[in-house]
Amino acid sequence: MNNPARHSIVLSSAGVSIPPDGAGGDGPKTILKPLDLELAQRRIAVIGANGSGKSTLLRLLNGLVLPSTGTVRVNGLDTAMEGAAVRRTVGFVFTDPLSQLVMPTPVEDVELSLRRLKLPKRERRQRALDQLAGYGLAHLAANSIYELSGGERQLVALAAVLAVEPAILVLDEPSTLLDLRNTRMLRGLLAGLPQQVIMSTHDLELAASCERVLVVDDGGIAFDGPPGHAVDRYRALVA
Amino acid sequence: MRGHAHLVAGYVPGHSPVHRLPLWLKAVLLLAVAVLCLASPAVSVAAGAAVTTAVLLVVVAGHALAGLPRGRLWRAVRLMLVFLVLIAAYQWWQNGAVVAWQVVAAIVATVLASNILTATTPVDELLDGLAAVVRPLERLGADPERFSLTVALMLRSIPFVIGAFSDVRDAARARGLERNLLARSLPVVIATVGYARATGEALSARGLGDPDPAEGWHHPASTQ
Repeated sequence: MNNPARHSIVLSSAGVSIPPDGAGGDGPKTILKPLDLELAQRRIAVIGANGSGKSTLLRLLNGLVLPSTGTVRVNGLDTAMEGAAVRRTVGFVFTDPLSQLVMPTPVEDVELSLRRLKLPKRERRQRALDQLAGYGLAHLAANSIYELSGGERQLVALAAVLAVEPAILVLDEPSTLLDLRNTRMLRGLLAGLPQQVIMSTHDLELAASCERVLVVDDGGIAFDGPPGHAVDRYRALVA
Repeated sequence: MRGHAHLVAGYVPGHSPVHRLPLWLKAVLLLAVAVLCLASPAVSVAAGAAVTTAVLLVVVAGHALAGLPRGRLWRAVRLMLVFLVLIAAYQWWQNGAVVAWQVVAAIVATVLASNILTATTPVDELLDGLAAVVRPLERLGADPERFSLTVALMLRSIPFVIGAFSDVRDAARARGLERNLLARSLPVVIATVGYARATGEALSARGLGDPDPAEGWHHPASTQ
């Protein structure tokens, strides 16, 4: 796996704004204020209210959103100039796995991820099956993704992203659509991954298991530090 | 979205003789079905009707031989039933009953034959087959992988759109708006556009459609 001992994502005055709609005289609308951050810890959580800018911050990290100002560098790669290389380094898991799983069955979706490795067909299929088996999903390999439960779908989405062994894993509210049992299962799974993991979440228990927590509020970082203090700060913000 | 939508156009795992046929042979047979149905009426109306009927029977037999559920066969026909009735009525009025039967049977035979192909061929195999067909055009700038991925996404999207129709219809019923055309169509359009955006974002996030590192091509987003 492309997994050196330590990875680093550096945001230098990285901000996101959208142009005015032209109807009024307002200037660009700021989604994320210019941020200076270095994300190097193995487990980082991003918490904050809906619409605070969490998802935009995460989307900056693999080039899904490009900064309007400043730069974002992943292990030295500029997301704006070397987007393809960044996406090979940073895997991204969405809140709703159904929007992420683009093939009809789990094995085909994992194979889709593996296509870029240009493996022989038989080897690609075997690796996809092995990958699913590693997550206890072998028996669901040929099922329709519509027949899977929410937890199973999220696991398949995770397996498909991890099949190409990204060095960094970014997850956007991975437990929002899961019940308590699946949330616990996901927590255990994430804890055991060798990748650097950066995730946004409303699950404060999950956030508390991280080394560092960023509290996002109104497009800026309201707090950056250990989980205990971060959760207190977040509770104070929404009180 | 409701879960039944996947039953349309999806792969049905199996080991039937049809499943075991190579993709190229299934494609040739599908082409033969279409050519026979389209070309035979040029000989005579009677010949066209006879050949198309025979082709339809062979296709239905192929459906059974592939071990596909009968419900799937009926669903494929039911989806086009309104159009078939309209076409049959028009043809009967304009050209008589025999031509009406030939036209409708030709459409059903061709759709069922393509249904057999998608039901007995894993999408991944279809992708490889399509990429192989387009590969000779690579010198002219065509990207076989991107072409085959586009077709696969189209196949994947059909069940979603059908499912969106079902969901929106139920939602309209629940609100007593089942006769309101806007309430039954606009949410489908919005859901479909949202689905297309989410799919594009998911593909981009997974680096699908990105170039080979050796090619030095940059993702469109990276040049903004």
